[in-house]
Amino acid sequence: MDSFLPVQVSWTPQTAASGSDFYPYTNNAGTVAGISGGDFCVMAADTRQSFGVGYLINTRYQPKMFKLSNGSVLGTSGFYADGLTLIKRINQRLEWYKHAHDKEMSTPALAQLLSITLYSKRFFPYYARVLLGGLDLEGHGVVYGYDSIGSYEPCLARATGSGGSLIQPFLDNQIYRKTPLGILQAPHTLDQVKAVMRDSFTSATERDIQTGDYLELFIITAQGVDVEKYDLRKD
Amino acid sequence: MTDRYSFSLTTFSPSGKLVQIEYALKAVAQGVTSIGIKATNGVVIATEKKSASSLIDDSSLEKVAVVCPNIGMVYSGMGPDFRVLTTKARKAAQKYKRIYDEYPPTGILVKEVASVMQEFTQSGGVRPFGVSLLVCGYDEKGPGLYQVDPSGSYWAWKASAIGKNMVNAKTFLEKRYNDDMELEDAVHTAIITLKEGFEGEMNEHSIEIGVIGGGNFGFGPGKEEPVFKKLTPEEIKDYLANIV
Amino acid sequence: MSGKNCVAIASDKRFGVKYLTISMEFPKMFQATDKTFIGISGLATDVQTLMERFRFKINMYRMNEERDFEPITLANMVSSTLYERRFSPYFVEPIVAGLDKNNNPYINGMDLIGCSTTACDFAATGTPEDQLYGTCEALWEPNLEPEELFETISQTIMSATNRDCVSGWGAVVHVITPERVITRTLKTRMD
Repeated sequence: MDSFLPVQVSWTPQTAASGSDFYPYTNNAGTVAGISGGDFCVMAADTRQSFGVGYLINTRYQPKMFKLSNGSVLGTSGFYADGLTLIKRINQRLEWYKHAHDKEMSTPALAQLLSITLYSKRFFPYYARVLLGGLDLEGHGVVYGYDSIGSYEPCLARATGSGGSLIQPFLDNQIYRKTPLGILQAPHTLDQVKAVMRDSFTSATERDIQTGDYLELFIITAQGVDVEKYDLRKD
Repeated sequence: MTDRYSFSLTTFSPSGKLVQIEYALKAVAQGVTSIGIKATNGVVIATEKKSASSLIDDSSLEKVAVVCPNIGMVYSGMGPDFRVLTTKARKAAQKYKRIYDEYPPTGILVKEVASVMQEFTQSGGVRPFGVSLLVCGYDEKGPGLYQVDPSGSYWAWKASAIGKNMVNAKTFLEKRYNDDMELEDAVHTAIITLKEGFEGEMNEHSIEIGVIGGGNFGFGPGKEEPVFKKLTPEEIKDYLANIV
Repeated sequence: MSGKNCVAIASDKRFGVKYLTISMEFPKMFQATDKTFIGISGLATDVQTLMERFRFKINMYRMNEERDFEPITLANMVSSTLYERRFSPYFVEPIVAGLDKNNNPYINGMDLIGCSTTACDFAATGTPEDQLYGTCEALWEPNLEPEELFETISQTIMSATNRDCVSGWGAVVHVITPERVITRTLKTRMD
């Protein structure tokens, strides 16, 4: 999953000055996951921001999911600074859209916008692993998963970031119920989905040193976005 | 070493004997008597500690050797040869621990030492060891007592004696031994067996005793892992006091 | 993966070079004693070589000592065998799983030069290690009975290997109980 970019070396003024091994990325923004349900969508992320390389924690509480003006939620992981910049650009585009069209952008439209925004930096990408969660035009929950340069697909359940590889197979198991015969989707209630999310993150926190501290759940329904916060391991 | 000496000194005589080994056994038979007795809950090995002169500080003499925490041994015959075997046995035990992170069972260690002694009956430029050993230990199968001879042969015993007085001592042990003897009793028996053929005064400085087992030692829940221990002169003195 | 008086060990069946699948019946585990298995992931030639070396050592031990390896002793033997090659190591990561003489579960995972970790819950190695650990953490719970343990380890290995493009093509599960070893083959996606 991580093979897209070259070997990471943390950026310091020294490495920048030396020029040749300039590497302006680090992977410091933990894990995000999203699960879509019939009429809701749950986005989840830990709140740790680490140094990326090494074992330092920059802060234990740095929210990495952002509620957007159209009611959808953008979760970022990977390189936090790129995530922030991306959010700024997206918010700006949403604002322009509102002025131009006198309505909020739909989540599927935003998904496409996000894709082309990422692709616009195809050769100097935002090192952001993002998930977009919201409700589609029919009011069904939807989660869009991306790579760093804009490939995307809607999915039932998706995890990405440092603990993504730990959580994704568990979500497959619990949400997709994948079997050799194909996909048998079980109906999930909001409570079930929240429980799966909490289990996912407590599990990932056990093994991934970059994930931990607190878990935030953004629960998106037609009524709006509820935020819940839970404790995770702090070590 | 020139090639002249690289053949084996232990060669068959026309009658089919390896006389070097028989000579080695003779050296053992001239050695100081050692006793070993296996009890139901442990083993004891004991020997006389003879010093050639009253001027020798006999606290420096060591005839009972700890091989590893669960195994000890004693010899009759030539002291220097025994030291070589002790070193080899200790190394073998540590090598085993290096691989398996546990000390060897008694039988395995004995096999190892016996194969070293056998090698010295067949290799070039060496002579057989002039010692017989009594090796005692306690493993998951229980207490064990083995004798190893210069030829590399070994046996497991309930009780045995080697050295100068072995014939008498064995006869004595045959009378005294019984299958449900406990360790304390065995130590007692070992001392009086030694005493039978003892020349001079027996005191806490003129004998050496090593024990393993007894008390709460053993394997299983609530048991302490058995440790081979040499008795201190004070402890030996207490035993002797009970005898006279 | 350990349970209540039982342990389970599972592996996938693929053997391939990069994206070329060569065999779909490649065993990565073998039975060391009645109640102990060794599973080895890594470079296939080293996996096979080590399986043979271990089989040799296990047989020699059985004959020399007239007893079978305890799992903890076996793990130490495996560890020291790997460390012998400290500077030209076998490219493998073995797991030892079994029941000891009191039928207590024993699980041990190792790196390629024998640094071993005894786990009370589970150990995982191989290309989908992240996926395995994530699912193990989420699905495993203490004191599983043999059938529950089978279900848990099967769900784990299927979910994890399905997210790793060089693993899968079926799986084998052994559940070791004091009475017997239950071996089952799982059908999984073949892509």
